[in-house]
Amino acid sequence: MVKFAPLALAVLSGLFAAPAFAEEVPILKIYTYDGFAAEWGPGPGLKAGFEATCGCVVEWIAADSSIGTLRRVQLEGDTTEADIIVGLDTAIAGEARATGLFADHGLDLSGLSLPTAWTDAQFVPFDYAHFAFVYDTDSVATPPKSFEELIALPDDFKIVVQDPRSATPGLGLVLWIAAAYGDRAPEIWAGLKPHILTVTREWSESYNLFLEGEADMALSYTTSPAYHIVEEGDDTIHAALFDEGHLAQTEVAGILKSSDHQELARQFLAYLASADGQKVIPTTNWMLPVVDLGADLDPAFAALPQPDKTLVLSDEEIAANSQRWIDEMLAAVQ
Amino acid sequence: MVGTTSRAAMLTLPHRPLRIAAAIALATAIAALIALVLWAILAAATGSEGSALRIDIPHLLRMTTIQAGLTTVLSIAVGMALAWALNRLRFPGRDLVVGLFASAIVTPGMVVAFGLLSIWGRNGWINQASEALFGFSIGNPAFGLSGILFAHVVLDGAFAARIMLARLDAIPTPRLKTGQSLGLTPWQRFAIIDWPALRGTVPGLAAIIFLLAFTSFPIVLLLGGGPANQTLEVAIYAAVRQDFDLAGAVRLAATQIAVCSLVILAASALAPIPTSFGASVAPRWRDQGIARGLQALVLALCTIGFVLPLLSVLVDGLGAGIGRVVAQPAFWWATASSLVIGTASALLTLALALVLALGRGATGSGPLRTLLGMPAFAYLAVPAVVLSLGFFLAVRELGLAPATAAPFVVILANSLLALPFAMATLGPPLEAIARSRGKLIRSLGLSGWRQFVSVEYPLLGRDIGVMLALAFCFSLGDLGVIALFGTQDFQTLPLMMFRALGSYRGNDAAAIAAILLVGTIIAFVGLPKLFERIADAAR
Repeated sequence: MVKFAPLALAVLSGLFAAPAFAEEVPILKIYTYDGFAAEWGPGPGLKAGFEATCGCVVEWIAADSSIGTLRRVQLEGDTTEADIIVGLDTAIAGEARATGLFADHGLDLSGLSLPTAWTDAQFVPFDYAHFAFVYDTDSVATPPKSFEELIALPDDFKIVVQDPRSATPGLGLVLWIAAAYGDRAPEIWAGLKPHILTVTREWSESYNLFLEGEADMALSYTTSPAYHIVEEGDDTIHAALFDEGHLAQTEVAGILKSSDHQELARQFLAYLASADGQKVIPTTNWMLPVVDLGADLDPAFAALPQPDKTLVLSDEEIAANSQRWIDEMLAAVQ
Repeated sequence: MVGTTSRAAMLTLPHRPLRIAAAIALATAIAALIALVLWAILAAATGSEGSALRIDIPHLLRMTTIQAGLTTVLSIAVGMALAWALNRLRFPGRDLVVGLFASAIVTPGMVVAFGLLSIWGRNGWINQASEALFGFSIGNPAFGLSGILFAHVVLDGAFAARIMLARLDAIPTPRLKTGQSLGLTPWQRFAIIDWPALRGTVPGLAAIIFLLAFTSFPIVLLLGGGPANQTLEVAIYAAVRQDFDLAGAVRLAATQIAVCSLVILAASALAPIPTSFGASVAPRWRDQGIARGLQALVLALCTIGFVLPLLSVLVDGLGAGIGRVVAQPAFWWATASSLVIGTASALLTLALALVLALGRGATGSGPLRTLLGMPAFAYLAVPAVVLSLGFFLAVRELGLAPATAAPFVVILANSLLALPFAMATLGPPLEAIARSRGKLIRSLGLSGWRQFVSVEYPLLGRDIGVMLALAFCFSLGDLGVIALFGTQDFQTLPLMMFRALGSYRGNDAAAIAAILLVGTIIAFVGLPKLFERIADAAR
């Protein structure tokens, strides 16, 4: 009888070995925006890279936008199946933090290479680029070097921007102008008004208006030219650098407190911000890596001109003022 | 002969309590679904602090109403002129032109808008030609209120023309022969023969077009030139996505639903009973003189205005980039999903539209007709972002996994989206049949089922084909409703197109847009013919 019990256990465990093993492989569920998880985005490469070492399965769950992922976990609260959100940005990080849904990442991020030092306890940066207007050297010989030069151009010099209420670059421009001009922001917007061909819902619409030649410049990123160089062999698209300095959009990831896989999630974020993870990002997400990749960075990126000055707004400033800044912008361009 | 009073209708309409009961049940179910969606959001909103909406609602309503009203009037006028011209003129490739016109409304609005720009924009074909020939540019007429109206008229006017053309083509041959033997002038012909056939469609079409324009979001932002020209839908989007002010969003949505309901009520109450039905042989009665010249002019202008933008989409897309797109396995998965979703939604739409339209045609009571007409429009009145949020919450409330439920939600949502268009296609002929053949049906003592199989279905063949084409193409892929569901493996062609656009891959997007357009045109040319043949065989 005494001997029977271990035997029975051994037989039973043999019977259930396969399914039990299958359940032991943890599944890391990550909410992100759809472009990130797309077959040409960073998602597949990061999944393969992390799964090679983690003994786990990475599952991307893609909402239509980064703000959509945040809204989804807000709606789901503690019952969310997400372990991590990848793809929030610094403009909404403050709001995301205020939900209280995110855990501390506990990682040492002092080795990162970003325009400004990273001190955030909850969010880990994984790529960045400065907001900038892009132009085509075939049609714009001398781009403006500041907002004021842009304003001084003839009215038929047209730019396209995005609605700050629906597109993150649109919000980025509002913050950029506020950071550069403070209380003079409404004046700048009023000056831009005659040049604004239209204000689109998404970045993609305004960028395509620009590519179709309908506008001289579109609000995009300093890294946008890299796509055209790498994928199309076209080096006529450039970003106009402004003397006021540029605001950077930094994309971040965070762990949800409700996750059952805290340690695994932490390992993923560490991988995401490591050189191995970062190698995947530039030519799939068309943003700059947050670590110095050296020779592993595509030369098209290394050669991109970068702004001399990076403007900074704190979470608190953004949270306290963004509503007012958006209203001022809407009123000025109305 | 038109039974406009309910007493007269009672005498001529076959007694069909089952049809009426089914339609009432369906109308109630649709209303309940909308209520459920709004309730789910309100339930999630409890506990959030009171909202301070920072929008001037009356101003927005005023601006939107002006834009939507102008769009409606212009679209109906252009659509009527175009239907008139297409009904009279016969030329090689006519079917293709008709298919092209019809495809505008189901093509994603963004594609049409960009097509317009490549013709009329600063760097468009016309400006390039004008600069090459005359050395000056016509400027940039495609932006601002005029740009919005232009894009809307291309989308909606062509759709109105397609529906009205179906009515004109369905005018019974004997009536035309009588008219011809009386020597009616082209104007008399329009007033005496065409107008009675058309006017039944006008209120329904006007309501659809008004609602589409009222809630149009991406086009208004793209071509509007900024927040001065915007719709309530933008404010709702901002409340949901940016401010996460759910209670405020429901309040705005309720405002939009209320305004839209007024329009729908007016349209339902105004709708006269149409008088033409069935399929006639192609008329051989041509107008002469000025009228014929005018028809050719209308057709030429509309072809330049409507067909060129779509043609430019084909030219842009069917170029070099197409190889890269069709080489992706994801493209074929997306195509398969689109076909399955489109087919399922089209069949569901057909079922819903038949139940509502048969029930509506079977009653002579004005209020009941209005009640049964309203749910068809419900989906147009509710903002898409609110629906998407509400469906997400409702699915979770029911304990379903969002990713599993996603395909079913998409099929249901797309069917509801296509329902008003299906009703506009099937409603008028069904009512005309019930009115004009009612006595015959009563005297023969046909059952409801026999009535459908032997009388209605054979006469409806072509209309069912048009309706299925509309619903199929509409449903190829509006996925806005599952924006939050998180299903990256579940992808349709339009979604793949927008994802490509959002990742710099404009060439891929152009190729997919062109493929979608070709599929749409095939559906519009092929399905009506196919169903006419099937229905003929059944006759």
